[in-house]
Amino acid sequence: MPDDRPLLIATENEETSRLATGLDADFVSLPDLTSPETFEAWRARVLAGDARERVIVSVWPPATDADDLVELDAEAWARRFEQPYLLWNFALGAAAKRAADGGRVVAVCQAPAGLDAPGRTPELAIADGVLSLVRSVAAAEGPRGVCANLVTTPIGLVQGDLVAPAPPLDGFPGTIETHVVGAVRTFLAADIEGLTGRVLAADGGRTL
Amino acid sequence: MTKTIGNERKVVVVTGATGGVGRGIALACGEAGWSVWIAARREKEGQAVAAEVDARGGVGHFVACDVGVPDSSASAIATILAEEGRLDGVVHNATSGLSPVPVSLAEVELADFQDHVNVALGALHSLARASFAALKESRGSLLLMTSEAGFEGKAKLSPYAGVKGAQRGFARALAREWGRDGVRVNSIAPLASTPAMERAFELDPAMADRVLGRNPLRRLGDATEEIGRAARFLLSDDASYVTGHTLMVDGGSCPAV
Repeated sequence: MPDDRPLLIATENEETSRLATGLDADFVSLPDLTSPETFEAWRARVLAGDARERVIVSVWPPATDADDLVELDAEAWARRFEQPYLLWNFALGAAAKRAADGGRVVAVCQAPAGLDAPGRTPELAIADGVLSLVRSVAAAEGPRGVCANLVTTPIGLVQGDLVAPAPPLDGFPGTIETHVVGAVRTFLAADIEGLTGRVLAADGGRTL
Repeated sequence: MTKTIGNERKVVVVTGATGGVGRGIALACGEAGWSVWIAARREKEGQAVAAEVDARGGVGHFVACDVGVPDSSASAIATILAEEGRLDGVVHNATSGLSPVPVSLAEVELADFQDHVNVALGALHSLARASFAALKESRGSLLLMTSEAGFEGKAKLSPYAGVKGAQRGFARALAREWGRDGVRVNSIAPLASTPAMERAFELDPAMADRVLGRNPLRRLGDATEEIGRAARFLLSDDASYVTGHTLMVDGGSCPAV
């Protein structure tokens, strides 16, 4: 029988630690982007692990200020887009294989709402790319009953005054313990069947 | 065709335009009498497409550009600006040669991921930065060639689907950022008859049935007359109030929209 505890495959930082605590999940940290050998060793180790009914994935980069794209040189682009996005590919690939037949994969990705996107081109590119990857996992693993879905959150991406209108709900951009964990639990719930390839924006209605 | 006032002799550059959709866009822009730069690695093939642009009433040029190499895209933009003194449209069409290769997401090698990312997004970042000032001056536009895969994902083409989705997010964010300077950013998700599609059908024979079976029009689009002209519309002044949009030019195929 697969282990009952959820498995969280994620970058190692405060936000994902809080996510693991909120979900009572076992934690597998993603490797640094150092070399192909590092990745292959990490992947071989993670793929050899036991199957899990519930696998959560999150790549949560260090906080950055919003910057116009023209201000991002190659180094900044690599740090804000390329490196996190490559980690997402590896993390979701591992999650797809670790998920037990009939299991659930849920990705948790930072994403600015469209209104708040200026200065956040790398982050919105990652979020839309991750949605497509999640849907790829849903398509690839669906025949063995695996559901794959995405929760997005603007936590960590909001600066300054918001463009009107204000989000419908108070408390924007939310907290990991309430808004994010709650949305993930929704996708993990035993009585939710047939939902796959979906995205749930845990953002107080900001994307409406 | 009837040329729209304000669209006379625009200067545009198309990456990966030696064949397929890129060539189709170049030829469609040539039909409008525009100056069209073929940005590609292969000079002989690029010059041939440039000659086709001439034959359609435009002015074709070739500029060497390997979008997988850092700084090559920016260098190509610099060459065009030095020659023309202006730039009205940038089309990023080039895609990784690995795009049609079926693979499991859990088995992709780091170098292959990086190739997808470098060509689809790294070059896009470089092109955007290098061309912004000129596009601001001309109130021009940036056009990305994404894919229906970027909406719905693909079971066997996950790395490709991922970067195509990322391009959509890039365009959505940049459209809001550049709109204040009058620069538009849009995407097209085409479904075209191209050598790349033919190769994908060869690698996965069941793919043809899957692709055409769900397509209401039951056929692939023509790269010039259907995809290229849609691209020309988004690059033209006729689309001056269209930004942040992904135009599906796929015969109604994609079920995710």
